[in-house]
Amino acid sequence: MKYGDKIIRMEGVIVEVHEGAVGIDLKGRLGFLKIPLRMLITDYPIKVGQEVAWNMSFPEQLSPDVNEHYVAGIDNRRQKEMQMSNQKQEVE
Amino acid sequence: MSITAETAQAHANDPAVLCCRAEAGITIEAANLEDPAIFDDLVDSGLLTLDGALTIGQVLGAKLTKTCDSLCPLTADVLEGVKEAAKPAALESAKTEETPAPAPVAQVAGGTASGVLKIHIGEGKDIDLEIPVGALGGGTAVAEIPAGAATGVAGATAQVPAEEKVVRTLTKKHFTITEVKRGPETKIEGTTLYIREGIEKDCIDNQELVHDFKIEIITPDLYHTYSETVMDVQPIATKEGDAELGSGVTRTLDGVVMMLTGTDDDGVQIGEFGSSEGYLDENIMWGRPGAPDKGEIFIKAQATIQAKTNMERRGPLAAHTAFDIVTQEIRLALKELDESLVTSTEEFKQVRRPGKKKVVIVKEIMGQGAMHDNLVLPVEPIGVLGAHPNVDLGNVPVVVSPLEVLDGCIHALTCIGPASKEMSRHYWREPLVLEALHDTEIDLCGVVFVGSPQINAEKFYVSKRVGYTVEAMDVDGAFVTTEGFGNNHIDFASHIEQIGMRGIPVVGMSFCAVQGALVVGNKYMTHMVDNNKSEAGIENEVLACNTLCTEDALRAIAMLKANMSGEDVKAAEKKWNPNVKSTNLELISNVTGEKITLVDNEQSLPMSKKRKEKYS
Repeated sequence: MKYGDKIIRMEGVIVEVHEGAVGIDLKGRLGFLKIPLRMLITDYPIKVGQEVAWNMSFPEQLSPDVNEHYVAGIDNRRQKEMQMSNQKQEVE
Repeated sequence: MSITAETAQAHANDPAVLCCRAEAGITIEAANLEDPAIFDDLVDSGLLTLDGALTIGQVLGAKLTKTCDSLCPLTADVLEGVKEAAKPAALESAKTEETPAPAPVAQVAGGTASGVLKIHIGEGKDIDLEIPVGALGGGTAVAEIPAGAATGVAGATAQVPAEEKVVRTLTKKHFTITEVKRGPETKIEGTTLYIREGIEKDCIDNQELVHDFKIEIITPDLYHTYSETVMDVQPIATKEGDAELGSGVTRTLDGVVMMLTGTDDDGVQIGEFGSSEGYLDENIMWGRPGAPDKGEIFIKAQATIQAKTNMERRGPLAAHTAFDIVTQEIRLALKELDESLVTSTEEFKQVRRPGKKKVVIVKEIMGQGAMHDNLVLPVEPIGVLGAHPNVDLGNVPVVVSPLEVLDGCIHALTCIGPASKEMSRHYWREPLVLEALHDTEIDLCGVVFVGSPQINAEKFYVSKRVGYTVEAMDVDGAFVTTEGFGNNHIDFASHIEQIGMRGIPVVGMSFCAVQGALVVGNKYMTHMVDNNKSEAGIENEVLACNTLCTEDALRAIAMLKANMSGEDVKAAEKKWNPNVKSTNLELISNVTGEKITLVDNEQSLPMSKKRKEKYS
C-alpha cells in the first residue's frame, strides 16, 4: 500500500443495531459501515445515535485484476436473491 | 516519555537514549531515558540511530559530559563512569523471585522433558514469539531442573510414589458408514445409512422461523459443489444406555458428518461477515479438528430462515434446532445397531497425576449474543436437548471434565470468521485437551469454558470469576485459548491477567498473525502461541484453517512447562514472523525425538490463479 501509514481519525454515528452487528454512518456523508459486534469495543449498552470513533486510512486497489472467485460469489448471491424475490412474488 | 526505575531495570540490556534535553554534568537516572519500546518505530522511520549506544544498565549513574538533545543515544564519548557491560545483579535476583518455587518436581523421572519452548507477546502490538534455547543443557531432561535442583530432587523422592489415578473413562465405539441414501425410514443397514424421505417437512414444521429446509448428500465426487456458508460441522454420536455425557460408552459414525448451511428468505447468508459460501472443495481446510476429513460423506442441510433473522439470536438457533431433528433420528437408529458392526473402539481415560504439575485449560467461547453463542452440555453429544446457551448462563465460567469436551459438550453456534471458528466437531477432537490429557508430565485437572460477553464491564465481570475459579483450583499453570479475533481479545487478555496476577504461569493461544493482532495487552501476556496457519497471516475465509491444531497444542504445552520451571522467554520480533513457529517446533522435535508434521494450509486447496496471487 502506498498510503497505508496515513491514519485519519474518523467519527460516525450508530444508525442500526442488530443482535449480531451494528451499522455506522460515517460523519460528513462519507459512507456507511456495517461491522460484526465483536469488532466494536463497547463500554456501555449499544444504542442508535451513539457516536463512535476509530482510526482508518483510505482503501487502495491492490491490482487492476479481478478475482474470479469473488465475482462468482457475487453473481451467485445476486441470482439467489432474485430467485428468492421471484418466489415471494409467486406466493403473493 | 521518561521511564521509571522499574522499567529501566526490565530494559537494562536495551539501548539508552535520552528522552529529553539534558545538560552536561547531570547524573543519568531512569527519568532521563526514553522507553525502549518505541525504538523500533523510530529506527524504522529514520528518526533514531542506535549505533554505539550503551545499554541502560551501563549508563545509569554515569555522568553526562556534554549537553545533549532529546532522542540522543548515549555513547561512551559523552559519559563518564560507565559501568562494565554485565547483567546487573539486581535483575537476576528479580527474575528468580518471579519464578514460582520449583515444585518438588517429579519431572526428574520424566525422560522426555521438552526443552525450552517459549513464545512471548509484549504489551499490545509487539508480538514476541519465544524461542527455545537449544543450548540449555543440550535439551536433555536435566535442563528441566531449575535452580534449587537439590531441594527438587530431595522432594521428588518423597513425592514420586504418588500414583496415577483414573477418574473416569469414556469409550467411543465407531461404526463405519460407506453410503448414505434416502429411504422410507431412517435406519442403518450394514454400512449404509438411510435418511427418511420427507424429514425436511418435520424440520420446517418444528421451527416457526425455518421456512425451507433441504438435505443434500455430498459424496467425495460432489465436493466441487456450490454451498451456502457453512454454519457448523458435527459428528453423529449418541450415548449408549443411561450413560451421561463424558463417561460410559458413546457410539459414533465414521465416514459421515453433519453439515449445516443456510441463508435467510432474502438469500442473505446466515452468519456474520466472513462467510465461506462457494465451492466446498475450495473453502474447506480438510482434516482440521473442526472440519470434515477428505473422503467423508456430508449430510448437508440448507436451512432458509425468516428474513432478517440471520443476525438475530433466534435465527441461527432455529436452524440448528431444526437440523438436530435429522441428527436425532440417526442417533436413534445408531442406538439400535448390532455390536458386531463396531469397527474400532477408542478409550479415553481421565487421568489425574498427583505430584505432577497441575494445569487447567480455560477456553473462551463467544457469547456476545446473536449467533455468537454456544449450547453447553446437551444430553446427547452435540445435541440441543438439555443444553443451555452460554449467553443465558451469563457467560460465567463453567467447569467441565476433559472427557465431556471430547464427548461433545459444546454445540457451537458461533459464526465468527470461518477460518478461526471452532466448529462443534472441533471440541469433539480438541487437540489441546487430547495432548494435555496424554502428557504424562502434567496433571490436567479440568477445562473451564467462559463466554465472551459484548460489553466491557461484563467482560471484566466474567474474567474476575475466571481468576477466582483458577485460584481455587490451586493449579501450577494454565492455558487460555480463544477463537477468532475482535473484542473477545479484551477478555482474553483480562483472563490471562487475572491468572497471571495470582502468580500462576499462563500461556495464551489465539489466532493473531497480521490481521488478528491483539488489541490490548498486559504484563502477564508474555507466553503466547499463535494459531495462524494461513500463508499471509490473515483471515483467509477457508473453513477452520486458522484453528488450534496439534502442532499448536504441542508448542503451548512445551511453553507452559518451560514457564512453570521458571525458564526465560525471548521477546518476539516487532512484526509477525512465521519462522518463529517452525524454529520452535524444530526445537521441540529435537528434544522429544518425534517429528512434528505441520498441517497444510489454504495453499493445498484448488484455487483460481488470481486467488493464489492474492494470498501468496
